[in-house]
Amino acid sequence: MWLQFSRTLKTAVKNFRRNGWLAIATISVLMISVFIINLQISIVGARDLLLSDIKNRVNISVYFTPEASESDVKKAEEDFGKYQEVEKIEYISKEQALEDFNKEYAENEILLKSLEEIGDNPFTATLNIKAGNPRDYELIATMIKGSVYQEAIDTVNYDKHRDVINSLGAEIESSRKTAVGLAITLGVVAILITFNTVRLTMYSHSREIEIMRLVGASNNFIRMPYIWEGLFYGLISVTIALPISYFYLKFLTQEGASGTALPFANAVYIQQFLDTVFLENILYIIPAEIGVGILLGVVSSFIAIGRYLREKKGR
Amino acid sequence: MIECKNVSKIYYGDVPALENVSFKIEDKEFVNIIGASGAGKSTLIRLLHGEEKPSSGEILFEGEDIVECKRSKICQHRRSIGIVFQDFKLLLKKTVFENVAFAMEVSGKTDEEIDEDVPKVLEIVGLEGLEEKYPNEISGGEQQRVAIARALVNKPRVLIADEPTGNLDPEASWEVLDSLIKINKYGTTVILATHNKDIVDKVEKRVIILEKGKIVSDQAVGRYNLKNNE
Repeated sequence: MWLQFSRTLKTAVKNFRRNGWLAIATISVLMISVFIINLQISIVGARDLLLSDIKNRVNISVYFTPEASESDVKKAEEDFGKYQEVEKIEYISKEQALEDFNKEYAENEILLKSLEEIGDNPFTATLNIKAGNPRDYELIATMIKGSVYQEAIDTVNYDKHRDVINSLGAEIESSRKTAVGLAITLGVVAILITFNTVRLTMYSHSREIEIMRLVGASNNFIRMPYIWEGLFYGLISVTIALPISYFYLKFLTQEGASGTALPFANAVYIQQFLDTVFLENILYIIPAEIGVGILLGVVSSFIAIGRYLREKKGR
Repeated sequence: MIECKNVSKIYYGDVPALENVSFKIEDKEFVNIIGASGAGKSTLIRLLHGEEKPSSGEILFEGEDIVECKRSKICQHRRSIGIVFQDFKLLLKKTVFENVAFAMEVSGKTDEEIDEDVPKVLEIVGLEGLEEKYPNEISGGEQQRVAIARALVNKPRVLIADEPTGNLDPEASWEVLDSLIKINKYGTTVILATHNKDIVDKVEKRVIILEKGKIVSDQAVGRYNLKNNE
């Protein structure tokens, strides 16, 4: 067993060295496949970051009438918070609103002066509501307007933003589908390219396989060197493609490079994806990618070699 | 040691490549199998070597029916038969030594055994000194003798040669024939399928003549004698 193991490994290393160009060509194609898959993963990842960022910025504000008491607003906060569509609800009191305004416009004297002229606090209590899903804002707005607090509510700014929010919801949904669809398609294409490349490589070994059979090699003995070879291909191509993918994306997101260099993803989010998701999980990503590369190489070899091992059929 | 009983082989289509072929080959025999192109020589050899299965009939090798053998058994069967082809079937990216050693590696021999046996068998076929050459650096006759060395190195009971001189000039052909005769003298059964009239007439051994998939003649000491003189 050990003899077979070491012997087939040795044969594989020799094959690899003696078929230098073929090995380089195969590895290059595999590298490109891995590179494309990595790019796709990054794009989808960056998109997710972008979308969650947008989602976090969207909300609807419920403005209460000046007459509404603080306890009413607090109760409304509690009740609205019970809607399952609502993810987060934030209460901003009159005083808080005034303070925020003063802070934000501290350098705008005209505005601050005109506020002084009014004398009273012109702001009203507000509830900022965030939905788990942007599509649910309409429902939430309707429920709020139909609630027992309708008397105390002045406006719900959903109506003003209705179109933006609605189209955003649809946009997020469809562009996510597009990105994932594209990623899957390209992933499948990359796998097919890999498989086909390995198959061609194995074709170049068909004479060798025939001779191995003739001298009485068992199928396992014939298969092993090529499985090793597939393993090398996967290992080497991933090892090279992973840093290339990283630095390529890094380069794209540098200042001066176009901000929309990649479809469906903005440079800022690619950058964010690389710095957070990628680097934080690097210890999982490296072995996972190498594992996938090896698996791809080995499975391709295994399937490709199979056709040369079948007995010739007659009647 | 080898016995074919009513062996037929039909590929797709209706014309049989072999039809009811029966013969027996004893231990240490030298048998010529001759016949025109398409007479069924190569088919017969593939069947004896276990590369294909007959459509009907039995092929017994040392009493065991190789038609019924499992795949793993077939590999072992092949190791006990050395085989040589017209086109040598050498691995071009391996040296002479490696080509021969390869057959031993396949059968699980240790590196020590390989280092001991390969030079010996290269000497038998007269290739000492060419160990480190690649096949395209040596002549056709030498390549065929590498193939013979590879076939011999596992000490097979039988050596099958399928048109071994087909691609060689007369001088190289004689060298190959000499090797085969020598091997037979050492005690290996030799089955030689050939077109080469001079060779068959020179060795003066048993001749089986195939025509259109049937055995038409089987003589203990025969001559190359085909009806249409091909």
